[in-house]
Order: sequence, then structure tokens, then C-alpha cells
Amino acid sequence: MMVDRNWVPMKWPCGPLGIARRNKSGSIDNDVKGTLEAWVRPSALELLKDTPINCLIVDWADGGPEDSAQQQALKPLLEAGRRLGISFVGKFPPKESVSAAVPAARAAGLSAVICEDASAQSSDLPAIRQFPRDKAEWKNASTIFCTTENVWPGLNLQTMNGDTALAGPTGIPWVNSNAWFSLLARELTPGNILWLDFDPPAALNLLHPAAYALAVADSYAYGSRWIISLDDKLRAALPKGNSQAKAVWERLCEAVAFFENHKEWQAFKSQGILAIISDFRGDNAYLGGEVLNLLNRRQVQFRIMERVKSQPALEGLKAILWLDNEKPSAEQHAALLAFVERGGLVIAAAYWGDPAVTPTKKDPSLRYRLYNVGKGQIAVAEEAFQDPYQVAVDTHLLVSRRNDLVRLYNPETTNCHSSGESVSPHKGKRLVQVLNFSSEPASYVTLWVSGKVQSARFRQFGAAEAHTLAGRPASPGTEFDLPPLSVYCALEFEGTNL
Amino acid sequence: MMTTTCSRRKFLGAMGAAAGAYLVRPVMPLARAVPASRVAVGTCREYGPQVTATLARMFDQLGGLEGLVRGKTVAIKLNLTGDATGRLGYLPAEITHWVHPQVIGATVQLLGQAGARRIRLLESPMSTSEPLEEFMLQANWEPRDFSSAAPQVEFENTNYLGYGRKYSRFWVPEGGLMFKGYDLNHSYEDCDVFVSLAKLKEHVTAGVTLSMKNCFGVTPCTIYGDGSPVDEASLTPRGGRGPFHEGNRLPSKSAPPPVNNALTSKDPGYRVPRVVADLVSARPVHLAVIDGIHSMAGGEGPWCDNVRHVQPGLLVAGTNCVATDAVCTALMGFDPMADRGTPPFETCDSTLRLAEQLGVGTRDLSQIEVLGTPIASARFNFRHA
Repeated sequence: MMVDRNWVPMKWPCGPLGIARRNKSGSIDNDVKGTLEAWVRPSALELLKDTPINCLIVDWADGGPEDSAQQQALKPLLEAGRRLGISFVGKFPPKESVSAAVPAARAAGLSAVICEDASAQSSDLPAIRQFPRDKAEWKNASTIFCTTENVWPGLNLQTMNGDTALAGPTGIPWVNSNAWFSLLARELTPGNILWLDFDPPAALNLLHPAAYALAVADSYAYGSRWIISLDDKLRAALPKGNSQAKAVWERLCEAVAFFENHKEWQAFKSQGILAIISDFRGDNAYLGGEVLNLLNRRQVQFRIMERVKSQPALEGLKAILWLDNEKPSAEQHAALLAFVERGGLVIAAAYWGDPAVTPTKKDPSLRYRLYNVGKGQIAVAEEAFQDPYQVAVDTHLLVSRRNDLVRLYNPETTNCHSSGESVSPHKGKRLVQVLNFSSEPASYVTLWVSGKVQSARFRQFGAAEAHTLAGRPASPGTEFDLPPLSVYCALEFEGTNL
Repeated sequence: MMTTTCSRRKFLGAMGAAAGAYLVRPVMPLARAVPASRVAVGTCREYGPQVTATLARMFDQLGGLEGLVRGKTVAIKLNLTGDATGRLGYLPAEITHWVHPQVIGATVQLLGQAGARRIRLLESPMSTSEPLEEFMLQANWEPRDFSSAAPQVEFENTNYLGYGRKYSRFWVPEGGLMFKGYDLNHSYEDCDVFVSLAKLKEHVTAGVTLSMKNCFGVTPCTIYGDGSPVDEASLTPRGGRGPFHEGNRLPSKSAPPPVNNALTSKDPGYRVPRVVADLVSARPVHLAVIDGIHSMAGGEGPWCDNVRHVQPGLLVAGTNCVATDAVCTALMGFDPMADRGTPPFETCDSTLRLAEQLGVGTRDLSQIEVLGTPIASARFNFRHA
């Protein structure tokens, strides 16, 4: 048995284990209890009819007295699900050893288990390794792997004043997004699939339909998948035929179906002329992650490169940010210097070029010393990299906006990502995805893309067909006026002048 | 190319008086008589090559630029208000609230042709110390278009210390209406000729924003910003100019202090026009150029409520900023002699009156010689557009 890369996962909390857990945490009421009891019945699977969801994550064991009852209660659900083509993955608590429970899980018909226990990977039941995000063991990631401690995407509630989003240091509202982490995972575990585990925030009322669609988009657009997780209010309201709940559910499924219908995009590569090099582990993890996050928020498109690779692929790059605490190896040093000699820019916290070169200064606002080497430059920070925000700002300016691949006007709560068949935006198919992190539609957003293109194929959730969006020349690129943007749109480009 | 009703000698005489005033302006009583001025008005329906031709004709009507700028360092304060990505609807900033790059390029080209030795483009982009060229690139502008328009063109972000070693201090003659003086980026001192290149707009706080209000943006937010430190200037600018607008706090103590009444009023409609009048008195404008080809009505930027795109199709230039702004105010359908309570100064004092009282220039159209298109035939009523 193997994990199925096409699984579309959803949390399916139910049964005695779910009730016991909620009792223990004191977060149970009659509605919650009723839902947990109802969702263990096969009839609950009706909810999934005509949806792309084909893999349910069920609580299998907690190491407590309810485990046996839970596994008994799940049997009819698992049997009914299998007949419908639904796979089940059993979830184990973080500290629990899985090996003892695997035989029962296999016998019951589970397709895989999710657990932190490394030994599960050697059992004959496929395991989906789970890690807290800041402790991800990239080298031990399974084909499908899962992280916890992710953020619910959207406007950062701590920077809200009522309905008004307060600006961050960038002048644009702060948003929560898992985008950077998905991009990092793609680079550090190539070929594997990241499932993001995060739950909706507790709310007094049903969440806005856009909130769930955004959770889907913020994952898929960057190459990962969200383990769909419904909040208590929604789960309770759905079986009651609540029309608002139904609309939320339909929007969520519509978003998932959209991405499942464009699976080829999942193989697209992040585009950028800037590479960020680090091992992104240990002492490098915080700075690396924050810089990726902040560069992404500035709409800077980048490629992530793992430092441990002795010969990073530098083709198509104009700049490299060496973010790792360690200096490059001799081999890497030679490759980087050759890159600079050819005209590239390397940004670093320390200088490791020819000591005979005397530095210059470009602009008083940039606290960097510039070493001209060959046709290129090494920009060395006058002080060590400390503030990730400043590193992101300085990097963007040192590379120059002249090299932007995309830009948004009236961006407010939106952000975008450029990917394609090639790491170069000028070869093959190109895709720019735009996300809105507010529950209010984003109006009058204009997307600027580098290159000259006549038009783009414009796609949105819920629209079966793409429609053509005409571009407007805005040298040296092209502008596209986007219609009011609820959550997400994608623009596909194809041509030789991208 | 000299057309005209105005001789070159007269023009140069006026210029010399203005430049000299900056250096040795005597103490003058308020409400004193001010010299007559000339303002050129050109009609230009669209941006394009015709912008250069129209401006060239207007500068000739004023007597030509050569006497003013030959061999000189010319600093041009641009009006690039707000951030570089904010737009009114889908319209690029230069079509609504920023001076258009073609007007900048044409002005640079004509200044270069007139013999300017060095031309410096200046602006204080909102809440950032990034290079001005990068700010322009973010708006999808190409700074090389400007640097290739004349022999030596430079850029500087004046919202912080920039390339200077210290801030330049400008005392306000007469002691100032809000502050006794202002500390500015060195660029405003290290020039021979100062040009205000502005947009023809209404302004929510100041009624109109033209060549004088454009100078509000010469003040660095490292000192005058919401986030400036109490004692000394910060390294990078933080926030807007709340200390000027609302008087909610004082600028950094390193800067010249406020005058007494500056501490009492918290009314932006009182404070902002006075700061502007102070600034154009302390740092005189030698040439005012206003882009009114496309603009917006109802406010100064897309962040204002009830604003809309308009197309007055006008360019205005003059050697006195008060007179030039007075003509612009009239072209916009307002009475430049109006004051608080009357459009466009419903909720503010008139910067025109305050600057006139400081002896900077006249707002009285009867004392202004309008060259080129007459006001009556060029008027574009902003409130009815």
C-alpha cells in the first residue's frame, strides 16, 4: 500500500475519542456533541457527494480507554467510505507510539496513519509524518508529510482596528499566510507533498465563505494542500440545512475543485531572478523564514536554494541573497564569484571576496558596502543580518524594482505569486495567481507583469471557463486591470514575449 | 522663440529679485505690497510631444529660462504624494495625483537646453528612505527617461538626511507663522534655483494644492513625522506629518521651535496653510510649474473621499509661486482672494493670503500679468467637473 498523491484530505472529527477529547478540554456543548456523534455514522458521508474530497483524517488512537470504542465505532464509517472510494487516514497523538496500533489500523481498513513517531515509517502501513512547523525534519519527510502550527490565512487580527486593516511597516496591511513555508517545503523536499494542518479560528458566528476559500487558495497556490477543517458552528449548521452554512461549504468545495482541475499547476516552478540560499535550519530557521515571508509580502518573486547543495543552479539568476550563517564552501565560493564576475549581485552579511577590492557605497539609505568584482557586485551589510524586515527591504532595493516580475497596484490586502513551466518567466507557460486576504472583495487592483503580452487567460473560482483579459502596455511590462477580486484569480500567459 | 509681452530684461530682473530675496531678505512687515508677477497659461489637451512644445512656449513667454539657470544647479521638488502603488480606480498615479513624467521630462529637457549645469529631482516619498529612483520604478516609471533628458540629472529622496552630513536650517523671515524655521535635507540649500513642479488639485485640508502646497513635502519625516524621536532626527522616516497636521506632538527638538500660537490650535485647516506659507517664505520658489493636463477633483489623492478624474488640459508656469497659484486657483473656478469659509477654503485658511502677508507674492489677479491663454477661456471648474 502506498499513499495516494491525489488525496484531498479533510479532518473528520467524530466518535467517542472526539467526544472525550472535547470533554477534557471543556469545549463541548450539545451541538458539538451531536455533530461528533452524527459524523461517525455512514450517512454523514453524504456531505462529500460530488465534492473532490476523497480522504478523511480520523482520530484513531489517543492512548486512552476510549481508543477501542473509537475504533469499533469507526468500522461502519470506514466500510461505507471505502465503497464510495474514500480513503481514511488515522491520526495519532504526537507522543504516541504507532507500531502497536498499526495492525488494528490496517485490519480496519485505514490507508495510512498520520503521526510524529518516526518508527511508523518502517511499518507496513504507509505513514504521513507530522512535524511542528519549526521542527520539520526535512530529510525525513514522507512522500506526503504534514506540519502543525501553521497560521489561518487572512488579515492579521492583531493589526485590525474594527473593520479597518492597519498598515504594517511596509505600508500595506499585515496578513497571515503559509505561502513562504509551502515554498520552502517544495524546495527542501522536492517531489513530496506538504499537507498543512490548521483549524479555523473560534468565532461567534459562521465564518465568511471567503475565509475557507482563502485557506484552500493560500495552500494550493503555493504547492501544498490544506487538511480541510471545519469549525464547530459550520459542522453543526450543515446537517440542519442552514443556507449560509451550505454556501460556505459550496465555496470551499468549489475552491478545491478549481485547483484539482488544474493539477498541472502544482508542478510549476517558482519564478524569480533572486535566489535565497540558506539551510533554513537551526540558527538559520527564524531569519530565513521571516525573510521569505516578508519578501513574499512585498511581491518579490524568489527561488529558494538549499545551502547544502554544493553546486546551486544559478542559471537565469541576477541576484543571490546568502542568508546562511555559514560561509560558502570552497566550491560554492568559486561558483558565487564566477556568478558575480559574469554580472551577478551577491548580497551577504560578510565579505569573502578578494581583500584587495575597495568597497563603495551606492545610496545612503542602504547600509551596505558594495564590492565591484568583474561585471558584478557583492553587497555586504555594514551590520550583521538581524532584522528580517530590513533584510527584505534592502534586498528588494539592492536587486532593484527594475527586476520585478510582478507588481500590484492598489494592492491593499492582496498578494501574488508567479510560477511557470520554467524558472524563467520568459520561457513556456507562465501563471500569476493573485490572492485576496480580506473577506471584502478587493477592487481596482491592477496586476503588472514583466514582459509584453497581449492578453491573459483569466480564471476565478466558480467559473468553468477562462475568459480573455486584455493587457495594456506599461513598459517594460503589461498591466491587467482585475475585476473585483473575492478571494483568488489566476492569469495564464503563453507566448514568446513574456 | 521669444514671444511676447514680457522682455527678457524684465524677466531676469524679477528672477534676480526672487533669488536675492532668499539670500538677504530684509525683515518686512506683514501685508506689505508685493511686486507684480507674470504667469503663463498653456492649453495642452493630452500628454505627448506637445507638452515640451507648450512648456517651451510658456517659458519663453516668461522671458526664457537661460538667465535663471545657465551654469546653475537646479533643484526640482516633484509632487509624488502618497505611496507609489495607490491609484484612483485603475488610473496610474500620474493621470490623477502625481505630476506626469512627461511634464517632468520636458521641464528637465528645457532646463538642460537653457544651460542648467546640474538638475536634481527631489521628493520625500511617504515613509521611506529608499532611493527616489526605486520609488519611481515602483510606479512603473523609468528614471532613465529623466537622466537622459539633460546632461547631469540626479535624484534624491529628501525625506531623511540623504546624502547630506547635516540638515540645512531655513529660518522664516518675520519669525514664522507656525515654526521659526525648518530643518530640511541639504538639497534645498545646495542649489541655485528651486523649482516647484506640482499638480493642479484640490486639497482636503488646504483647499488647493499647487506649487506652494507641494513644498509641504520638502520637510523630512525623520524630524516632522509621526514617528520621529523626541530629541533628534531618526535615521529613516516614520509615518506622515502629524506634527504639522494636528499638532498632536512636536517635531524633534533638534529642529527650530514652534511659535507660540502653533501650540494652541489643533486645527489642520489652520496649521497646514501656515506651515506652507512659512516654507515658501523660508525656501523661496524661483519657478513654479503646474501640471493640469489630467488631474483629480475633490481631493489630493485617491485616499480622499468623493474624488474623481478630471482633464483640465492645462499647464501653468510662473516665477512667483503665490501669483502662479493664484492664477491656478482662478483657473480651477475659485476666487484666489477668497478666505476661510469660501470655496475652496471652506474649512481652512488661505495659503495664498498667508503667503501674500509674508511678502512672498501677490494673489491679486489685477496685479498679475497672465500670458498665453487667458483665464476666462481656460477656466476649468473643479467643483462642476
